[in-house]
Amino acid sequence: MRATPVNRVTGADGITEGCRTEDGFDLYFGPVHPGSGNFGVKLTVRGEEVVAARADPGYLHRGFEKLMEYRTPMQNSVLSDRLCILESLNWNLVHAEAVDRLHDTEIPDRAKYIRVIMAELSRIQSHIIWYGVLSKALGFDTGFKVAFGYRDYVLDLFEFVTGGRVYPAGYICPGGVRRDFPKGTKERIRELLTKMEKMSREFEAYDNATIRTRVKGIGVLALDDAIRLGATGPVLRASGLAADVRRDAPYEVYDKLDFEIPVHEEGDAYARSIIQRREIEESIKIIRQALEQLPAEELPPVKPKAAGKIPEGEVYVRNEIARGEAGVYMKSVGESHPYRCKIRGPDFLHMIPVLEHLLVGAEVADVPAIYWSLNICPADMDR
Amino acid sequence: MDSMRTASARMELLAAIDAQFDVENRVDKDGSVWVSVGKDRLFDLLGFAKNAGFEHCSSISVTDWPEDEVFELTYHLWSYRDKILLTVKSQIDRREPIVTSAIPLWGPSAQIHERELHELFGVRFEGNPDLAPLFLENWEGPPPFRKDFDWREFVRKEFYDEGNPREQGYWG
Repeated sequence: MRATPVNRVTGADGITEGCRTEDGFDLYFGPVHPGSGNFGVKLTVRGEEVVAARADPGYLHRGFEKLMEYRTPMQNSVLSDRLCILESLNWNLVHAEAVDRLHDTEIPDRAKYIRVIMAELSRIQSHIIWYGVLSKALGFDTGFKVAFGYRDYVLDLFEFVTGGRVYPAGYICPGGVRRDFPKGTKERIRELLTKMEKMSREFEAYDNATIRTRVKGIGVLALDDAIRLGATGPVLRASGLAADVRRDAPYEVYDKLDFEIPVHEEGDAYARSIIQRREIEESIKIIRQALEQLPAEELPPVKPKAAGKIPEGEVYVRNEIARGEAGVYMKSVGESHPYRCKIRGPDFLHMIPVLEHLLVGAEVADVPAIYWSLNICPADMDR
Repeated sequence: MDSMRTASARMELLAAIDAQFDVENRVDKDGSVWVSVGKDRLFDLLGFAKNAGFEHCSSISVTDWPEDEVFELTYHLWSYRDKILLTVKSQIDRREPIVTSAIPLWGPSAQIHERELHELFGVRFEGNPDLAPLFLENWEGPPPFRKDFDWREFVRKEFYDEGNPREQGYWG
């Protein structure tokens, strides 16, 4: 940590002038750190120990809440892709549900199942990224490359069904989904799930002593802290609370599907990485059941209610996305666009209060492991 | 849809709110409870909710109503124990938007939501020690998420050149 930067004014002890503070010196983690995303944390370090951490968000703020006030729900469903680059279909679903609830429309059963299948595939794909970047953070490049290789199979399917690999252009939209599954999708998904199971076994095999020493006992989040800091989703479940919106307040067809909610007590980075692998397995289970139950009748095309007005009212919709609890508060006064659309992203809490809490007292070398064990996404934090 | 336990807990909650507070409430189709309360009793009601098991402050939001000169605050609370969603709404004066912070109840999770709302709507939360801007840098204009801030006009003036024939489309 005492390396002298080139071409900088340095003091006698080799520390760059201006970075020195009374407590130690400042170390910027991100926003140009490889893999930190569009986000940074300013750490104050004394020797190897982090004594203070201050999140520095805002690099990806696009003002979606304001943008949505000027657009119709069908346009907004395309915007909602961008709420989190890593799991756009899940965000599509939260937004679409909010509009559906205001319209008080019952969508066809088949569309509900398609929504769940796509959302769960999106969760798997997002958890694969999580596995990949966490491996990368630990210096385990094989895991990173294997994960991103497998992720492409899921993206191939997204492209086949929605036309977009990363951004599905609002595939899950108010009123159902933009189009029915193309011919042969069920078979392709089953093939994909076989590959995902193989991947799962590979991930298990990589879980060896070397990896464990880097994550065990690191970034421990106690349960009461987790609740106080607003943690949700896998982060909360790794701290010991079996809370999952899919089970606690089922939406779409989750109440007809049988799945488990993995929970761990330890609350450290290793517990979070186990939850992540278990959730991939559970999602595979959910998709298999949904494919079995998928009604056969064809889906009528969704007619965008372009000139239609959103009925007056307000809703708060919560969904369980890969990172935790996603919420949309939508208020309509009977115009063609929402009057207010508040978006609650899980990473707003995970990347500011939770991350700052976990980093204080950690060693500098553990910062990447803690950082990526939270399954971060700067996009849904900044919105 | 919901379990017997949730249904009875909801009945108890509604009865307790009715007994202690003189407020409007409604139950949505999905079982969520919506309560509107005056600003003076807001903090009491939030404290009551926290004690009634609403441990998770899911979100805090502001809706701007410039014609009525009010900001509507919306607290979305979730009870892990009873599995109920409670939304508490309250209106505050838009010309003097000051409200007591919910930090004593929900700690950092309320703090960060309040910090965001202070930046985007200009609502001051009394008792919140850190209301530094999160997203905007060197911003001197009005809080940008208020209804009377015309961001289209701002973008046109800030980023497009009226004299440039190629950018005429933006000045239509």
